[in-house]
Formats: sequence, structure tokens, C-alpha cells
Amino acid sequence: MIKPSVEKNVRISNLIDIRKLTNSAFVLRFEKHDLSFTAGQHIALGIPDIIDTREYSIYSAENDEAMEVLIKEVEEGFMSPKFGKLVVGQKVKVMKPVGYFTINKDYLQSKRFVFIASGTGIAPFHSIIKSYPDINYSILHGIRTSEEAYERNEYTAGKYIACTSRDKNGDFHGRVTDYLQQNSIDTQAIYYLCGNYEMIDEAYGILEKAGVKPENLKAEVYF
Amino acid sequence: MSKKIAFKTLGCRLNQYETDSLVSQFIENGYQIVEFDEKADAYIVNTCTVTNQGDKRSRYAFNNVIKRNIDAKLIVTGCMATQYKDKLEDEKAINFVVDNNHKANIFDLLDSYFKGESFALNEDERSVFSFLPAKDTFHTRSMIKVQDGCDNFCTYCIVPKVRGRAISRPINDIILNINQVLDFGFKEIVLTGVNITRYDYNGLSFHDLIEKIVEIPRDFRLRISSVEPEGFTPKLFELLQHTKVAPHLHLCLQSGSDKILLQMRRFYTLAQFKGIVQKIREKRPDFNFTTDIIVGFPSESDKDFEETLQAIEEIGFSHIHTFKYSKRNHTRAARMPEQTDEKLKTSRSEQVRVLGELKKRNYRASFIGKTQSVLVEKFQKKVASGYGENYIPIKFTANEVAENEFYNVRIIGIESGEDPNLLAELI
Ligand SMILES: Cc1cc2nc3c(=O)[nH]c(=O)nc-3n(C[C@H](O)[C@H](O)[C@H](O)COP(=O)(O)OP(=O)(O)OC[C@H]3O[C@@H](n4cnc5c(N)ncnc54)[C@H](O)[C@@H]3O)c2cc1C
Repeated sequence: MIKPSVEKNVRISNLIDIRKLTNSAFVLRFEKHDLSFTAGQHIALGIPDIIDTREYSIYSAENDEAMEVLIKEVEEGFMSPKFGKLVVGQKVKVMKPVGYFTINKDYLQSKRFVFIASGTGIAPFHSIIKSYPDINYSILHGIRTSEEAYERNEYTAGKYIACTSRDKNGDFHGRVTDYLQQNSIDTQAIYYLCGNYEMIDEAYGILEKAGVKPENLKAEVYF
Repeated sequence: MSKKIAFKTLGCRLNQYETDSLVSQFIENGYQIVEFDEKADAYIVNTCTVTNQGDKRSRYAFNNVIKRNIDAKLIVTGCMATQYKDKLEDEKAINFVVDNNHKANIFDLLDSYFKGESFALNEDERSVFSFLPAKDTFHTRSMIKVQDGCDNFCTYCIVPKVRGRAISRPINDIILNINQVLDFGFKEIVLTGVNITRYDYNGLSFHDLIEKIVEIPRDFRLRISSVEPEGFTPKLFELLQHTKVAPHLHLCLQSGSDKILLQMRRFYTLAQFKGIVQKIREKRPDFNFTTDIIVGFPSESDKDFEETLQAIEEIGFSHIHTFKYSKRNHTRAARMPEQTDEKLKTSRSEQVRVLGELKKRNYRASFIGKTQSVLVEKFQKKVASGYGENYIPIKFTANEVAENEFYNVRIIGIESGEDPNLLAELI
């Protein structure tokens, strides 16, 4: 049978490593094959013999030998618990990376970037800062408790701010939108927002009101 | 005696373009094209799966052939055929199920079949661009395919699944193709694709493509047609003022609520959308914007819907293609919990229709007293009809008018009814 074009974009990869970060979050590391990408893009990930796939931002850097994604198991979710049960050596289906949540390289030298994430929405920013180590950035990470500050040591000290809503062990107690409202906003920076749509919608409103130009706002919605 | 082929096309312009190309290829090779309800040797149904309705209408079309029990070949192609290929292949009454990637090969497939030869479908991905330019179409405008597929993955949309990943046609092919159809005598070029503003061929973007097209030193009108509100660079804004570029865009809004737009994964706000419209209308105040609206997306509240109506009111679209949100398997929105009740979708769709009609009439009536250049499509009983540069239908009486020629007219009135023609006189 002749398969539709979408099949041409699939690679089957061996799982190389699984890093448990919390009870429910983990990093899957798998073979990259010939898949090149631009930091900020995502893949659709599946398991052979299961039709469903889910999108995941790429967590690893552009030049890493293997590819990584950061996944949080969603209770009663269909796919994420299945990914959580995989073991090293098993296979995953990886679709060619896509997406436009990427950095305009012309601005890398001249602009400051503010990355705002909720939960696993930190993943594309991890890839971006690992791919462009000289980038001038800060990250606001909205999480419930400080244990969700996934691999925070990977970020330059002082550039990563964990906004924890349910404990006081982060750098700021409250949601990222509270942080934005209580601190001064750099209207010249470029803002990248990633995670759940409610956070993005609210943050858009705050940033636009503060005078950030619409063309300096970029979003990636997970759910 | 020449073999007879009948076509049925459902869905979008891109499907129409692909059918036109196939029709032309069959005619040039001595086949006869007949109406779909006539007796033919082969029936080709070019299907759609963008909504449930698309699926139903597609199935109705080919079931209709099957029921007639004629000794003819049935070919089912297009997006629904791609989506349900495995299932359809099990249906004995369908002779060939041809997915989108191989649609351009249908002539060769059928022609070889009639000649008793074997033919292997082309595995080359780029066959999505191997449709030959259509010479014999039912239109005065010639569509040119510049792109296929989409990487946006809007949460409601099945298209990336059936049209595949975004792929752009080489710029030189496009220019060559345009020159060919201008040689055939076409005067208006309409760009087509799934998401043309994402055109990207070897670093050349959409505005580079438009620039290259308007630079062709020949007399024609370029209609950009259906675009997403992305990729609007300063250069594109500038090119939209070019005399060859028709002042009309089908700019897809989908919803006037920022919250719904984000849930759709459409990454612009209403303010950004309005910014595009405003910037274009600063220079060309009567620029025509038409759009697509989805009503009843999961969790769309009364407030969200009000925002959509408000946006339609403010932007003044002259035509709205309204879709009731339709749950498509394996899309993200299908898994969203708060699906909207069908009755509510219907009533919202009706409200958009009523407002849309009012806006259409207002927009068209605003041309009374102004001039337009009409590309005449039909001249019968001394009445000529066609579209002006703003993509508004115009009629005028004249003694002698040639079809497929431009005429300058002054608008003097407007018909009554849902889709009123403007009435004009020659100047
Ligand atoms: C472009 C893109 C990139 C993404 N990148 C990532 C990523 O890097 N890491 C990641 O963990 N997820 C990511 N997601 C979400 C991911 O695709 C799945 O939706 C998620 O893993 C849940 O899938 P599931 O099959 O278990 O749940 P489903 O059965 O699909 O959904 C169950 C419900 O869970 C909720 N939900 C979905 N995602 C999350 C989440 N992350 N946290 C809490 N609730 C959620 C939704 O409301 C949904 O209705 C991304 C989504 C998109 C569109």
C-alpha cells in the first residue's frame, strides 16, 4: 500500500535514557537520526502500534547527539502515562520537528528575551538557551511547588525565577502573572510565552497594557 | 469513440484547482468531460474532510455513483480519501483510492488502465506540484498552486494530517506556470495553497514570491486570495499596494476572542489582526476583507461569541464563510472537555450569517459612484457580468463586450437579495 506523505516524516528511535525529575515528570532521551531542528520547535511523539501521538517541545539543544523531551504525566491522560511506563531500549515514533516558536537569530546579539513558562512549558526555553549560550535572557517559571523547578541548575544563576503558587520555596511566591504585575516590565524586550492558554491570555493582557508591542509577543500553547 | 469522464469536487479552492488541472489533461488527451449525473466511463470524486459535512457530502457523491450501478470506474481522491484510505480501499465498488500525494497522477493511472497498461503511482513527494496548468477550465481566473500542507497544527484542524507537512513550490516553476497560463489567455491569477503566507523556498518568503510575480512584465491581475494573519512583513504591506495586486484578501480570523484563538493555537490576538487590516486600509480604504469564522469551538462562551460579532461589525468583512465547529478525530480540540451544543452552534451560525449579509450589502453599496475594472466572465443578452478588482460581482449592459477582457465601469446601483450584484455603466 502507498502510505500518505505524513508517514515519510516518521522515524523510529530507541530510547536511550529516562531521567526521572519528580514523581510525575521525566525526560525521555532517544535517537535523533537525521532529524535536525531549530530550538523552540516541537515533535509529535508516539509509540509503535498506537495510533495516537502527542506534541512535545524539544528539550535538548540543536547540536546534541540525541533528542530529549520533558514530559509530565497527566492524570487520566491517554498518552503521557504510557510514555511514563516506557523503559530504556523500547522504541518511540518521532515525527519531523515543526513549529515557528523560534528565535529570530538577527536579534540574538541586540535584544533581551523574557521567557515565561508554566509547568513543562519550560522545555523550549531549555533548548533555546542550550543552543544559544550567549543569549541575553531571563526566565519566569510558573509552577506549583519548588520541586517542579525542573533542572534549574541548568540556567545561569539569577536568570531563572521560580514562581511557586503552592509553597514558598521558590524565588517568588505567587503565579507568573502576579510576578509580572508586581515588578517592572521591560517594554523593549521580546516576550516568549509557553504553557497553558489561561496563563498566556492573562500575561498577554498585562504585557500589552504595560506597553509591549504586539509584534514582540510570541506564544506556544500546550493545552 | 472517446471515453467520458465525470468529476465531482468538494471543499476548497485547492481541490478545485487540482480538478481543473485534471479536467484539462483529460480534454487535451481526447477524453470528453460530462456532467456528474450523466453516464460516463469513469467518475472522479475529489473529496473533502475539513468538517463532518465534508465527509458526508463526499460519501454522498460517490455513493450516488455506486447506487446508479453503472459499468464505470470510480476513483475517490482528495482529503477524505487520504484520511480514510485503508477503509475505503476495502470497499469493492471503489476501483481506485488515490491519496493527495498521488492525485496529480490520476490521468496517467486511468489512461493506462483504459489502454490496458500498468502504471505505478509516483512516490515522489513533490508530485503535489506536478499538476499541469489548466487550459480548459470553467473559470476566467487561473489558479496557481504555490504551496501545499501546513505545519500550524491548529487544534481543530485535520488538514495537516491529510495534506501533510508544509512544502513550497520552487519559485521558478511558479513563474513559468504563470507565464504559461497568461499565454493561454488568462488575465487574472489566483494563488492557491493550504497556508500560502508560510511560503518558504530556499529562504525566499511569501513577500519575495509576490514581488517576483508582480515583476513579470505582462498585463494581468494578481489575486492573493486566502491567507492567514501571519508573515505580514513591511515589504508585503508595500506589495499589497501594487497596481497588479487586487485589493482583496480572504484573511482568516476564525474567532474574535483572544482566549478562543489561543485554544485554537492561532497565534495572533484580535488587536494584531485588526492592526493588519488597519495598516492596509490606511493606504487603500476600500480594500476588501473576507474571512472564515468558526462558531461553537469547545468552551466558546456567550462573551467569546459576542467578541466575534463585535469584530465582524468593526472590521466590516464583505463576506464570511461560517463553519460550525466540527469535531475531527485525532485533533486536540476533539479531546477538549467543553464541547458546544449543536443547537447553540446553529443559532450562532445564523447570527453570523445575518450580520455577514448586512456587512456585505454595506460594503458593496459603498462602491456606488466609484469605478471598477471588471474582468468579464459572461456576456449574454447584452448583459455583461464579472468581478471588479475588489472581488465584488458587477453587471452592466453593453452592445458589444468580449468575455475575458477588462472593462472600466462606474457603479450606479445595487441589486436586492442575499448576494447582490453591483449595477454599473461603461465609461
Ligand atoms: C506544541 C505542543 C508542545 C507540547 N509540549 C509539551 C511538553 O514539552 N511537555 C509536556 O508534558 N506536554 C507538552 N504538550 C502537551 C502534550 O502534547 C499532551 O497534551 C500531554 O502530554 C497530555 O497528553 P495525554 O494524552 O496524557 O492527555 P490527553 O488525553 O491528551 O488530555 C487530557 C487533558 O490533560 C490536559 N493537559 C494536557 N497537557 C497537559 C500538561 N502538560 N499539564 C497538565 N495538563 C495537561 C488537557 O487539558 C487535556 O484535556 C505540548 C502540547 C503542544 C500542542
